[in-house]
Amino acid sequence: MELLVKSLPLLAHGAATTLYLSAAAIVFATALGLVLALLQLFGGLILRALVEVYLYVVRGVPLLVLLFAMYYALPYADIQIEPVTGGIVVIGLYFGAFMTEVFRAAVLSVPKGQWEAARTLGLTTPRILLDVVFVQAMRVAGPPYINTCIMVVKGTSLVSIIGLADVTFIGKQIVERTLAPFEIFGAVAFVYFVICFALSRLGRHLEWRLNYVP
Amino acid sequence: MSIDLSFLTRVAPTLAEGLSTTILLAVPAILLSATWGIVVVMGLLSRFRLVADIARSYVEVVRNTPVLVQMFFIFFGSGFAGYPLSGFTAGLLALVLQNGAYMAEIYRGGIRGVSHRLAEAGLALGLTPRRSFGLIVLPIAIRNVIPPLSNQGVLIIKDTSLVATISVAELTFQARLLADRTAAVFEIFFTLALFYLVLTAIFSGCMRLLERRLRLA
Repeated sequence: MELLVKSLPLLAHGAATTLYLSAAAIVFATALGLVLALLQLFGGLILRALVEVYLYVVRGVPLLVLLFAMYYALPYADIQIEPVTGGIVVIGLYFGAFMTEVFRAAVLSVPKGQWEAARTLGLTTPRILLDVVFVQAMRVAGPPYINTCIMVVKGTSLVSIIGLADVTFIGKQIVERTLAPFEIFGAVAFVYFVICFALSRLGRHLEWRLNYVP
Repeated sequence: MSIDLSFLTRVAPTLAEGLSTTILLAVPAILLSATWGIVVVMGLLSRFRLVADIARSYVEVVRNTPVLVQMFFIFFGSGFAGYPLSGFTAGLLALVLQNGAYMAEIYRGGIRGVSHRLAEAGLALGLTPRRSFGLIVLPIAIRNVIPPLSNQGVLIIKDTSLVATISVAELTFQARLLADRTAAVFEIFFTLALFYLVLTAIFSGCMRLLERRLRLA
């Protein structure tokens, strides 16, 4: 217990890094997912094929392998990049593929009649997307989107393997010094639990708000 | 630009040494997760409040914490408690605990999708509720959720790479050793990614065949 109190400042520091990584990666993955989903739905043949290849590769290769590839290969390619930025980019690229599937499925779930009705009313395609399709797709996308966000938060733990000082990394270092795996890894798990649980609660709240019919 | 693929013959043999470990870990991890998931979903749907609550808490805790941290917890914790598990066993345990919870949620969705009239038909034929569930509802539910189960299986195959951190010499571990020794990092990670792509493609292909076999005419 005393040990836990003493390690608290260090763990809090790691938790802040984890939060920052998660938030940045979620923003990046969401933006990428939106763009790729739109390309896949409305792009030309070549663009669609490229997106499909990208999704296929990311679906079949572990996140850890991509992180290692970045970690080992970038210095050889003479690309100078902050390790934290590199981590955010790789995690964002990886989960962006998952986001793409979420958004695409949501847009496709909007009945065709909605498109036709909006077109009959004389709306332009961007207007239809924003005012008619997105608002309905958002409800469908809500729960799987939050699930993917939780996967991003959990996925950030892998950056500890390439030496970024997130909460998992710091926890492991403390355990190596103090030999108290249960307390420390329990506390680390608790940090993730709080973040993810808060996310899923927020998701449920939003879902309730979006489905509210006055 | 000409593409020289000769590096494949240099890198692939070393990686192949790790391939067998990856497969030996992935296969039991997938089978045990699928089985453990059934146990957990029985708990989630139990009539006994206490059992259902325990199962629900387990699922929530496991799904909201990273599998890597669970691996460290089990691996380092077991050593500290005096019953050291090998990296392989600890990794397998963590993978099954994590993915069993996800599989349970998939089964739950599948079971909810089966019309309750089918269960009632079983009762009308004189089956006990338990047998009606086990012989009618569950098989139909499992057949219906093979695609999401297959997705989860792919995630398990990819997550086996994490045991490299608790010194199990599987694919990613071998690749990292190679990358530390040589300068051919692009070739190494390209080949490594290829290995995983082939593995996951074979697995999803098999699952699609299974799905087609089980589909009702």
